[in-house]
Amino acid sequence: MSTVYDAIIIGGGHNGLITAAYLAKAGRKVLVLERRHVLGGAAVSEEIYPGFTYSVCSYVVSLLRPHIIRDLDLPKFGLDIIPLNASFSPLPDGDSLCRWDDAARTRREIARFSPRDAEVAPEFSRAMAQISRFVKPIIDGPAIDPASMGPEEALRLLKLGRRFRGLGKDNMVRFIKMMTMSASDFLDEWFESDVLKAPMSVSGIIGTFLGVRSPGTAYVLLHHYMGEIDGAFRSWGFSRGGTGMVSEACAGSARHYGAEIRTQAPVAKILMSGGRATGVVLENGDEIRGKIVASGVDPRRTFFGFVGEDNLDPEFAKQISHYKLRGSSGKVNFALDRLPEFKCRPGSEHLHGDIAIAPSVDYLERAYDQAKYGEFSRRPYINAVIPSLVDPTVAPPGKHVLSCFVQYAPYNIKEGASAWPEKREAFGDTVVDTLAEYIPNLKDIILHRQVITPWDMEQDFGLTEGNIFHGELSFEQLAFLRPAARWSHYKTPVRNLWLCGSGAHPGGGLMGGPGALAAEAILSSGECR
Amino acid sequence: MHYDVIVIGAGHNGLTAATALAQSGRKVIVLEKRELAGGLAASEEFYPGFRTQGLLQETAGVRPSIITSLGLRNRGLQLRGEEAGSFVPEPDGPGVHLFRDAARFTSANPTLADEEKKAYHEFREFLGRITPFISTVLNQTPPPITDKGTEGAWTLLKTGISLRALGRDTLHELLRIGPMCVADFLNERFKSDALKVGLAAPSIHGTFLGPWSAGSVATFLLREAAASKSVVGGPAAVTRALLASASEAGVTLRMNAGVRRIRVSGGSVLGVALDNGENIDAMIVASACDPKRTFFQFLEPGNLPDSLSEQIRIIKMRGTTAAVRIALEKPLTFPGRPEMTPEEILTGKDIDSLEKAYDAVKYGEMSEVPHLAIKVPTLSELDLAPKDKHVAEVLVHFAPYHLKGGWNEAARNELGVRVFKVLAGYCPEFESSVIAKEILTPVDFEERYGLTEGHIHHGEHSLDQLHTLRPSVDTSRYRTPIEGLFLCGSGSHPGGGITCAPGAMAAEAIKNT
Repeated sequence: MSTVYDAIIIGGGHNGLITAAYLAKAGRKVLVLERRHVLGGAAVSEEIYPGFTYSVCSYVVSLLRPHIIRDLDLPKFGLDIIPLNASFSPLPDGDSLCRWDDAARTRREIARFSPRDAEVAPEFSRAMAQISRFVKPIIDGPAIDPASMGPEEALRLLKLGRRFRGLGKDNMVRFIKMMTMSASDFLDEWFESDVLKAPMSVSGIIGTFLGVRSPGTAYVLLHHYMGEIDGAFRSWGFSRGGTGMVSEACAGSARHYGAEIRTQAPVAKILMSGGRATGVVLENGDEIRGKIVASGVDPRRTFFGFVGEDNLDPEFAKQISHYKLRGSSGKVNFALDRLPEFKCRPGSEHLHGDIAIAPSVDYLERAYDQAKYGEFSRRPYINAVIPSLVDPTVAPPGKHVLSCFVQYAPYNIKEGASAWPEKREAFGDTVVDTLAEYIPNLKDIILHRQVITPWDMEQDFGLTEGNIFHGELSFEQLAFLRPAARWSHYKTPVRNLWLCGSGAHPGGGLMGGPGALAAEAILSSGECR
Repeated sequence: MHYDVIVIGAGHNGLTAATALAQSGRKVIVLEKRELAGGLAASEEFYPGFRTQGLLQETAGVRPSIITSLGLRNRGLQLRGEEAGSFVPEPDGPGVHLFRDAARFTSANPTLADEEKKAYHEFREFLGRITPFISTVLNQTPPPITDKGTEGAWTLLKTGISLRALGRDTLHELLRIGPMCVADFLNERFKSDALKVGLAAPSIHGTFLGPWSAGSVATFLLREAAASKSVVGGPAAVTRALLASASEAGVTLRMNAGVRRIRVSGGSVLGVALDNGENIDAMIVASACDPKRTFFQFLEPGNLPDSLSEQIRIIKMRGTTAAVRIALEKPLTFPGRPEMTPEEILTGKDIDSLEKAYDAVKYGEMSEVPHLAIKVPTLSELDLAPKDKHVAEVLVHFAPYHLKGGWNEAARNELGVRVFKVLAGYCPEFESSVIAKEILTPVDFEERYGLTEGHIHHGEHSLDQLHTLRPSVDTSRYRTPIEGLFLCGSGSHPGGGITCAPGAMAAEAIKNT
């Protein structure tokens, strides 16, 4: 136990591994500690049923930052992203809408529901792309704190203001609206067809405890378009071999640069001495020393679980206790004997991307209303993918994997979160029943199903309250407020303890931003030299 | 006839603008469609011998600076020395009597847990730190954000400096809570359901928001920042003082004078045409009507630039409020506090019950159990009703303008039944005390008061429809792209409610042309 590491990273999820890789690449002696037997955290591939590889939790690669892919040479370590090229929304009346990666083809589809919407669509895309270009640097840099008195920050704020003006009047107004409106209201300003608006609006609610009519959900519409401008890097897509391969590639890169990675090494406590973090204690009692500790685990677990409230300034502890992590989603993975057949549209070309069960705005809002009062949605929003259609490595020939993200499944159900195990199968049945309304042969072709409730996400993956983003992505918890005011720059009030997970700016999703920015902050602090 | 300025609508904002302009020497005429001035601040007889103080209830938002500048004190306007407080009854408890004055709150709620009282003191102290900044913003004309000129940058810089003057922690907290929902905001501080209902409810009045909707803290702060002392006699007393002041300043007031058209030629205003065919000329027309009515009904479509037309089309003003006026034998009393006859009452069991009341309007339904904001004005203004009789003015949340199936007699009666059921649930003696009632649906609001979609604030109060975007980016400074046409109603910054602020700020903008 005499080795002192330059940096100990808690959690072998994609962010922890990215931080590790950057630090190792800079010549630091790094140790990553993962609680489970497998790396990846929520970005993990596992063979739960023989022959079938599930992307157990996170199922698509969203906005993985192109510079990270480049800096860490991830393709060399196995990263291969297959673009999502369609977004299919079946409807209960036997019709359906498919949005393709070909704009003209999408327009023709939309025109069947509203010629006016088809006409407006290109202008909408153009505006979104322009606004995305303005927003992108915000997520690619450390959060700017408007309350900071530092000259450097003031300069960055001023620059941001100048760039904002550069948007021009129309886009300035649109941007303000996107920051404040609900996805549904914002889309109402542009489009008339519910069939189009419903699947577009859902991007605003994923992983939040909000409905499509809740203000503050419009800005997430930009995410889709940000992916588009990353363009050649194909940052929206499937990872070949499942999302676990993203983590494996990050781990490969980290190892290549000399990082040490241990699995089945659960951390019990962060070692504290004189108000500073000096290492960790594992659950088996081993003590490991490090010049710094970086936690890829969510802020609640990091500070209340690993540091302990006694070691925190009461004001900061209050901030962390106000930090909201109400999980709102579940995941159901299926092994299928055959390809599912959608009664509204035969064939499989439209199934190569994602499939959204979002037939109307009211449907989505009703799903939310049920969750607000502590029940899982009786008819939930489902975002499904069949990765085996484009990636034969995840299922035996002719068989398929169907991976379903399901919202809403509130962590805090009426009966209390620990009652989830008794509701797990009922929840799974609801998902099957919902899908079977569109896929009549579904029940006959299920070989295996894995139901993951928010409770399971907490128990199995260490996500507090089952929140997939390590904290809700609502404005009061973004940018300079993530996870707490004054502490949005990866540094924490505990000296030598850093945050590098999704609970830090720019937040959750398989994008790697927090991991990379944390590494940059750690290196420039000089604390682990 | 020729005037310097024509003001459309004799509501509190129209009268404020007219008086301020007349006091600066302009020849002003106010045109009112109804036979009665005051708009939502007009006393109305709804049953022989029983009158209201107005459709709206609150007067604490009337700006003291406007009371002074228009000389309203000399025209009979009196401010209340003490808050009436709002009472949140509990079916099986003493309820909570809310006062902004924390000391008064403490003494009025002796049975409330000490930690709640302490939390309330801290809460008021925190609001006291941030509301001065917000009221500064509310009392400034929104800066022209899109101009390249220096004025916008200057206002922005000033605002930025006063923001930073709050200090880093307070500013962080303001920026954190600004976009939040009022439910989360209150849950961080309080436990008492009745207390949370009393604080949360006003922030969803006249909105398309529930307490769990992000952005509801903003409407909460908006109201708190504008609150000072309320007016003796309520909204109608504000109107009476404004009318006296207007008349003294030489304003001509014409009732039963509905405007059919605002006449425009070559992009400039010429005057108006009345419903009776008469033309009145003026270089300046200020409309206190809502923006949709102003631009889409009063203007010929050809006079409206396309970009502006689109900005106005997308303004959200989905009416969600109805009203019931009730003539009563006795004031409302509550078994949990038998000694008290509250003047202002807010109903709701807890935050979720407010949210459920809101849920209904999303699907075009009226609330199963509506939230009620009730005022019993006869407790302080005796002559609104015959001796010893009383009036209850009830604002009902939520009842959608766009009711599924439309508003008809059956729907109207159903609304009345639901409201009575809520009241009877709190006051067992209520129903036996009822003499008469009048029910006004959002569609009635539209017909009677000229409110598009029955929206009491001339446009929803939501973050995307405030400040530089109220009512739209090209019209947020009271001026419009049509030369000589101004907006002076609640559809403009700082928004609805009886504040007189849009009228006064529009008058300033007109004087500066």
